Parts: sequence; structure tokens; C-alpha cells
Amino acid sequence: MLEVQGLKHYFTDEQGRTVKALDGIDMHVDDGDYVAVIGESGSGKSTLARHFNALLQPTEGRVLVDGMDTAAEENLWAIRSRVGMVFQNPDNQIVAAIVEEDVAFGPENLGVPQPELGRRVREALAAVGMTAYAQQGPYLLSGGQKQRVAIAGILAMAGRCIVLDEPTAMLDPRGRREVLATVKKLNEEQGITIVYITHDMSEALAAKHVYALEKGKVALAGTPEEVFSETDELERLGLEAPPAGRLAAKLRKAGIKINGNIIRDEELAEALWP
Amino acid sequence: MAITLEQIHYTYSPGTPFARVALQGVTLTIEKGDFVALIGHTGSGKSTLIQQMGGLLQPSEGKASVDGIDLSRKEKEIKAARGKIGIVFQYPEHQLFAETAYEDIAFGPRNLGRSPEETDRAVRRAMAQVGLDFDTFAQRSPFRLSGGQMRRLAIAGVLAMEPAYLILDEPSAGLDPRSRRLFFEQIVKSHKQQGMAIILVTHNMDEAARYAQRLLVINEGKLLYDAPPREIFAKYQKELEEVGLAVPAAARLAAVLRARGVPVPADIITEAELEKFLLTWVKKRGKK
Ligand SMILES: Nc1ncnc2c1ncn2[C@@H]1O[C@H](COP(=O)(O)OP(=O)(O)OP(=O)(O)O)[C@@H](O)[C@H]1O
Ligand SMILES: Nc1ncnc2c1ncn2[C@@H]1O[C@H](COP(=O)(O)OP(=O)(O)OP(=O)(O)O)[C@@H](O)[C@H]1O
Ligand SMILES: [Mg+2]
Ligand SMILES: [Mg+2]
Repeated sequence: MLEVQGLKHYFTDEQGRTVKALDGIDMHVDDGDYVAVIGESGSGKSTLARHFNALLQPTEGRVLVDGMDTAAEENLWAIRSRVGMVFQNPDNQIVAAIVEEDVAFGPENLGVPQPELGRRVREALAAVGMTAYAQQGPYLLSGGQKQRVAIAGILAMAGRCIVLDEPTAMLDPRGRREVLATVKKLNEEQGITIVYITHDMSEALAAKHVYALEKGKVALAGTPEEVFSETDELERLGLEAPPAGRLAAKLRKAGIKINGNIIRDEELAEALWP
Repeated sequence: MAITLEQIHYTYSPGTPFARVALQGVTLTIEKGDFVALIGHTGSGKSTLIQQMGGLLQPSEGKASVDGIDLSRKEKEIKAARGKIGIVFQYPEHQLFAETAYEDIAFGPRNLGRSPEETDRAVRRAMAQVGLDFDTFAQRSPFRLSGGQMRRLAIAGVLAMEPAYLILDEPSAGLDPRSRRLFFEQIVKSHKQQGMAIILVTHNMDEAARYAQRLLVINEGKLLYDAPPREIFAKYQKELEEVGLAVPAAARLAAVLRARGVPVPADIITEAELEKFLLTWVKKRGKK
């Protein structure tokens, strides 16, 4: 689905200095994969995400979406209809004065006709629990509510791949659970490819693969089990293992024998009281 | 010396078809030196509530005051009260406005009448406090930073004013684990050393459990609980879930262990506490 080859992206800051936001990334995301991207603030996660639907172009290297080069102008439309993006700040993607129209904006642009359009909008709003707000002004919603509307907008486009940049940062625990469940369902039931950027290590556990970035490079990659058992390396990267993994590491350091790769609550319980 | 809210009601766009009741009779007092966490489902009224504390929104009904100054008085009369309160807003980009990070942070102290030297010191100190390297970031445009860098800049701008009451609306959203830890170390320090009152709005139950002395739970514009975090998280797990909230990760992990037969006490709410308990428990068990 997504192929990233030797990707570099350099910005020039206000004083003319080069900021190497991405500094040689190789990445391969299969069709139907579920990838979490973690990394310290400024490590390049959002910059990487913006390459997936051609919002940014590589300084060097290539990004292919279903084999189509994002640098080729003629691919733009096909790429954007395949890869949807939920931004870090939902304010940046609100386009209409009414929630329902906001959600309809994407699919309408893709030429989805009525009554299909109406159905998609209704289903997307229901999926994020915002049906009651369909007629509201999006600017008047709370932070978390806006974020859900933004997700609904991408859902309604029904692309094959959804890139989410910290989608739960402003959500309450229930909202988080719901978004995670929605993402999981889209991945499992419809085979939609997911790229999920997060600072919450417990959320990254839901993915099939995890990439940890450091200063524009991939520092760790693998299954959640592989990545989150590297506790010392994670610490160095400014990251951490999920709670059960952290606790297991601390107990081990105190001389307590705990077998196996522990990253989930149940695994720690099993290890402590087999 | 305190922020007091008495029977605050607030409705957005009253008398229009878009009217939305956000607060319904909230009464509370935040003392100098408090460290309070405010939790509640999205749309429960948290951001609206803190804007009442800062005098940024006038209540539809009820009374808000800061250190005895009634916030419904004229702009000139409440200026002193405003100066005591620093708010880091939920979306930091709404708060950033200057051409460079330096100017953005310097605005507050200058506005409070600090000398250029004092202002410069305040800017440097605040940048160090949030972990933004001076040489790398001082001259950068606020609007071309990463999400977490922007948030830290917005926090620095408020810290530089050394407010008596620091209100933080989801300050750690968008921060990686290390920045988050460093940020809270700074906040705890300001709280302890300068007696700064901290009002922390958060969706992160772990932060509420770990740092706050007092927890306010708000649901649909009403104050549901006001008690120490330990009491609320230990007693009201089911009730919290019903209003869209949860217990901290450590308490959840403790529950999983308990279900297995590990005798974890009910009042464990932080990771450090759970670690301490498990260490003694495993050792004791080893002896048997
Ligand atoms: N328009 C720009 N001009 C100059 N530098 C930029 C620009 N956009 C981003 N950068 C820099 O590129 C680096 C990577 O930014 P990016 O937004 O990809 O980080 P991130 O990993 O998403 O961080 P966060 O977790 O804070 O959102 C940062 O150091 C940032 O300051
Ligand atoms: N400017 C506005 N106009 C109309 N209604 C608003 C406005 N701002 C907020 N509201 C509504 O008031 C209620 C409370 O919103 P508020 O922003 O205080 O919630 P919150 O607890 O901060 O939520 P979140 O956790 O999502 O940030 C919500 O129902 C929201 O939709
Ligand atoms: Mg980012
Ligand atoms: Mg809010």
C-alpha cells in the first residue's frame, strides 16, 4: 500500500538553517497493515504522514502509494482518494459551517452521488457517536467533539488507507476507546490500512507493527512485542514501554524473576501469578 | 486569597437556536497553593469553566472572583486579577501570535512592566523550563514548529509571567513521554517553590492521580465530585466509567492482578505505589 524509499525532507528555518525533519526513512506498509508511529516531539512523524497523501514532496527519495509515485502530479487525485488524513489539530480541517456538510465535503469532492453520500455521512457520524450534532456548527464543538467530526469526514471518504496524526490527544477515556475500536474495526473488517501516530504507548499496542522515529530516522521497528521490550532504547528515545512493560522492567531490575516478553496487563498478571 | 466561583451558570449563544448550556450551577474555591486536576468527558464544560476563572467569559448567572476582585467589574478594575492568572489554552496555536518564539514569550513579562533585562531572563528561564533549546528555537516562527514544540512554546509564554494561578488546559496533549515528565517536574517545582496554584485540565487519569492533591470531576456542566484523587479513583470506578472517564492505568492493572488473586489494595492509583506493593509482596511470597 505504502512504500517509502530513502525519504528525506528538509525544511529551511527562518534564519536559513536546514532542519532535517526526515533524514533517510525506509518503510513498507502492506495492504491491510496497521502501523503505529511513535517518536519524540520533532522527530518527524507529522512530516512523514504528510508525504503519504502528497501534501509534502520528498527532498530526496520516493514515496509510492499502491505503486504510484506521490511526486507525479497526475497521481494526485488517485492518491488523495486512497489515503485520507486526520490531522493533529482538527481545527485545521474544518471546512464547512455545519457538521453534516463538513463530513460530506470529502466524499462530495470525490464525486460520490446521493443517496450514497447521505448514507456515508450518517454512518460516519454514527461510527464516532456524533449523530446528535449533525446540524451544529463545528466551530462551536468542544475539542474532543471536533476531533470526532474530523475522523468522520475521513471515514466518509471510504479510502483504502487512513493516516491519523494523534487522533485521540483531546479525547476523554471513553472517546479514546471508541476511536481505537473504530480504527480496529475498519482495519479488521474492511481491511483498511491504518497509519496511527501517537504519544500514547498503550494505543500503539493495538497495531501490528510499530515504528519509532528519532531525528528523522527509524530507530526501532517491529511488532509491538519487539519494540516495547527494548526498554533501555525506548528510554533513550524519550519514549517508554506501556505500563505493564515498565513495571515488569522495574521488578526485574529489583531482582525479581519475570519470564517472557511482557507488554500487556494480562501478561504481567500471568507472569506474577501463573 | 483564592479563586471563587459561586453558582456559575453559562449558556453559549443564549436565545438562539444554537444555544448550548455549558455550566449549570458550579460552586468551588481554589486556594493559593492548591494543585487541582479537573477531569470530565469531552464537552462537559472544563474549558468553559476555566475561562470563567480567568474572567474571559462572563457567567450567565452567578459570581466569579479572584483574590476578592469580582470579575464582573469593569475591565480596568479587574486588570490586577487578570495578571494573577495564566492560562495555557487547549489549542496552543490559538495563543501564539508573534513573529518569533522569543517575542511570543517576551510579550507577557513586557506587558507586566518588566525591564528588558528581566524580560530576557524570564524568556530564557521559561524556554529552559519547557525544554526548548534557546539557540535552536528563539528565532523560529511559532507557526512552523511541530505540534509538541508549539505546545511547549505556549506553556513557556505563560510560565514567563509567573502567575499566582496557573491554569493548564490539556497541557500534555501532544507531548511525548519524556517531554511530559520534564514538564510535570517543572510544574511541581513551581508549585512547591513559588506556591503557584495549579489547575490542570486533563483527559489523562494517570497525571491526575500522580500530581494533583485534589480532583474535580465535572459532568454535563455540573460538579460531580470534589475530593482527593485517591478517594475518587478507589471508590467511584463504575461511576467514572458511566460519565466517560476511567481509573488510572495503574489502577486498571491492579484490578487485573486482583482478579488473578494478587492481593493489591484498593487504594493503589499510581505506578510507583503498585511497584512498591509488588516488590514487598513478591519478596514476602518468596519466603513462604
Ligand atoms: N514549515 C516548517 N519549517 C521549518 N521547520 C519545520 C517546519 N515544519 C516542521 N519543522 C520542523 O521539522 C521537525 C519535524 O517536525 P514534525 O512536525 O514532523 O514533528 P513530529 O514528530 O510530528 O512532532 P510532534 O510530536 O511534536 O507533533 C521539527 O523539528 C519541526 O520544528
Ligand atoms: N463557542 C461556543 N459556542 C457554542 N457552544 C459551545 C462553544 N464552546 C463550547 N460549546 C459547547 O459547550 C459545551 C462545553 O464545552 P467545553 O469546551 O467547555 O467542553 P470541555 O469539557 O472543555 O470539552 P473537551 O474535553 O472536549 O475540551 C459543549 O457542549 C460545547 O459543544
Ligand atoms: Mg506532529
Ligand atoms: Mg476543552
